[in-house]
Amino acid sequence: MPLLEQGKTKDEIREATGQTVGVNNASFDIQPGEVFAIMGLSGCGKSTLIRCVNRIIEPTAGSVFFKDPDLGEQDLTKLDAEQLLALRKRRISMVFQHFALLPHRTVLSNVAFGLEIQGRSKDERKHLGQRVLDMVGLGQWGQTYPSELSGGMQQRVGLARALATEAEVLLMDEPFSALDPLIKFDMQQELMKIQRELHRTILFITHDLDEAMRIGDHIAIMEAGRIVQIGSPEQILVNPRTEYVANFVEHADPTSVITAGTIALPFDSELFVKVDERNGIQYLHRHDHPEIHYGRDRDGYLREVRIDDREIPVRPLAEILDARNGDSVPGSRTEVTLTCGEDAVLRQVLRSRLHSTLPVIVIRADGRARGLIDDPELINGILEKRGHIP
Amino acid sequence: MSELLEFLRALMEDPFGFLDLPVRQVITDIVNWIVANFRDFSRTYISPPVRGVMDGVQWALSAIPPGLFLLGMLLLGWWAASWRIGVFALVSFALIGFMGVWDQMIVTLSLVITAVFFCVLFGLPLGILSSRSDRFYAILRPILDIMQTTPPFVYLVPAVMLFSIGNVPGLIATIVFAMPPIIRMTNLGIRQVNDELIEAAVAFGSSRRQILWKVQFPLALPTVMAGLNQTIMLSLSMVVIAAIIGAGGLGLEVYAGLERLNIGQAFVGGIGIVLLAMVLDRITQGLGEKAPGARRQGD
Repeated sequence: MPLLEQGKTKDEIREATGQTVGVNNASFDIQPGEVFAIMGLSGCGKSTLIRCVNRIIEPTAGSVFFKDPDLGEQDLTKLDAEQLLALRKRRISMVFQHFALLPHRTVLSNVAFGLEIQGRSKDERKHLGQRVLDMVGLGQWGQTYPSELSGGMQQRVGLARALATEAEVLLMDEPFSALDPLIKFDMQQELMKIQRELHRTILFITHDLDEAMRIGDHIAIMEAGRIVQIGSPEQILVNPRTEYVANFVEHADPTSVITAGTIALPFDSELFVKVDERNGIQYLHRHDHPEIHYGRDRDGYLREVRIDDREIPVRPLAEILDARNGDSVPGSRTEVTLTCGEDAVLRQVLRSRLHSTLPVIVIRADGRARGLIDDPELINGILEKRGHIP
Repeated sequence: MSELLEFLRALMEDPFGFLDLPVRQVITDIVNWIVANFRDFSRTYISPPVRGVMDGVQWALSAIPPGLFLLGMLLLGWWAASWRIGVFALVSFALIGFMGVWDQMIVTLSLVITAVFFCVLFGLPLGILSSRSDRFYAILRPILDIMQTTPPFVYLVPAVMLFSIGNVPGLIATIVFAMPPIIRMTNLGIRQVNDELIEAAVAFGSSRRQILWKVQFPLALPTVMAGLNQTIMLSLSMVVIAAIIGAGGLGLEVYAGLERLNIGQAFVGGIGIVLLAMVLDRITQGLGEKAPGARRQGD
């Protein structure tokens, strides 16, 4: 510890003492009901970190604060043995990378394991266990043994076991890393579906940035036992703080992370030229597209879009995507101005290009027009993972 | 100068003449001391329970009509392993009966069951303790080595001095010789349980006792059964040696036959022991494979 306080690095300390620093100075806050992903390469200390939360590994220093629904805020590192057991039984449960199912017990009995430790009655265990098993889509498999199930199904059992105790906090240690890519994707969808229903607080460990971005409301990136950046997926993608993070982000898929609000070219940018103002509506055109005129009123609401003297219809992008159910016929593009919210992701905006030849207008939550997305913004968003550079 | 040379020559020719380790005397003194001080203790507190269990088992086994016994063996073999093993058990026990050593077999089986009972009674807890404390196992391990490698003849005489002759010293010697495998295998089985499974049990708030009985022990059971199998085999291998100090049964047949140069009698006893050993081996192996923890771990 003193060596760490002197600011030595992990490697220097290993050389001096033969001990390895697992996790050092990793501070973060997790909001109730969010999925907080911790991303890092193997050996960076993320599994050690998650085990410090329920003290399967005892941290040598530091604190873990947890707002217990009954007992108020507690420092988990100060609990005695009995309190710690109670915490693990009721408040924090865990999902493991290699599932860690008990091979000598049936699936249902595995799911009910936490309930058994809580001391629930046999009937209650059976009833609650079956309900959670139904939730993960394995209702029919209760009487089989784990070894009879595929990897994906085994991890559903692992997830069901963790959900069954009704703990507020779910620790997930690379839960999907051992699964095939397709099944992994399914499981991510399943987890998000369940999470929309249950709103647990999830600490999710992964070495896969795409997974972290898909699942996490916030992401912490770890390197050699330290957290190098914390932020929303988009913040990390758009604004990587260190070279290490930038390297990761370079290969990440931005299309489902970066939002329209980030890449939109704002109407108050100098790239817009004011053409006219009549009846309280101000008309602008983008300097390289003088034929399309965007009319906004004084409050910033979009009033009309014109090409020469034709008025172009304006429709929300979501409406079209819903109507066509995501499928679209290439080549059937029309002259229509589509609008989307600031939180629409790049993937959705890209889809607009299948329906319309014109730029997409981004509307703020309060209804005012923020800016537009044309090809340069889209390409910049995908390739550079960046918004408009003023 | 020549004195020094003379000394070196003597050292090379007979280096052991310079020191006489009085091991013999020390051991004899120790054994005599133990016998003098613990004889009453062992005859009052150790002999009666051992003899009691032995007599109980023998009484129960003798009470079963041999025909019913054969049928029982058929069913036991069938249930524990397969119908083939059931038939094998039936045929083996029938052969023992036809050879005319049924009663001796009952005595031997009682000796084995009693010895195994005490081996499990003490071996399981010792194995569990060993798995939980490296220090405990470090102390126990050399003792187990001594128990397993000391030739049984060496401690037969002290056993007789402590417990007089008969079944009891034979049983004590058998228990000493046969207990190590079940201790070792229990320890091994528990230590081999996948760490992630232990971690999972811990994460859900299990106490140490719950981890042991809900996770570690069930998963160690196939290994423990392998240890039990070894314990049974070792106790069977001791029955002839135990006969030397007055234990009865098939071992006595062998010993008495050899003493009187009655090779036929000795072989009948020997064949009986082999058949008994094979049946007990197949049945306990079958039980080990049936244990719930025998399902594939992890994966």
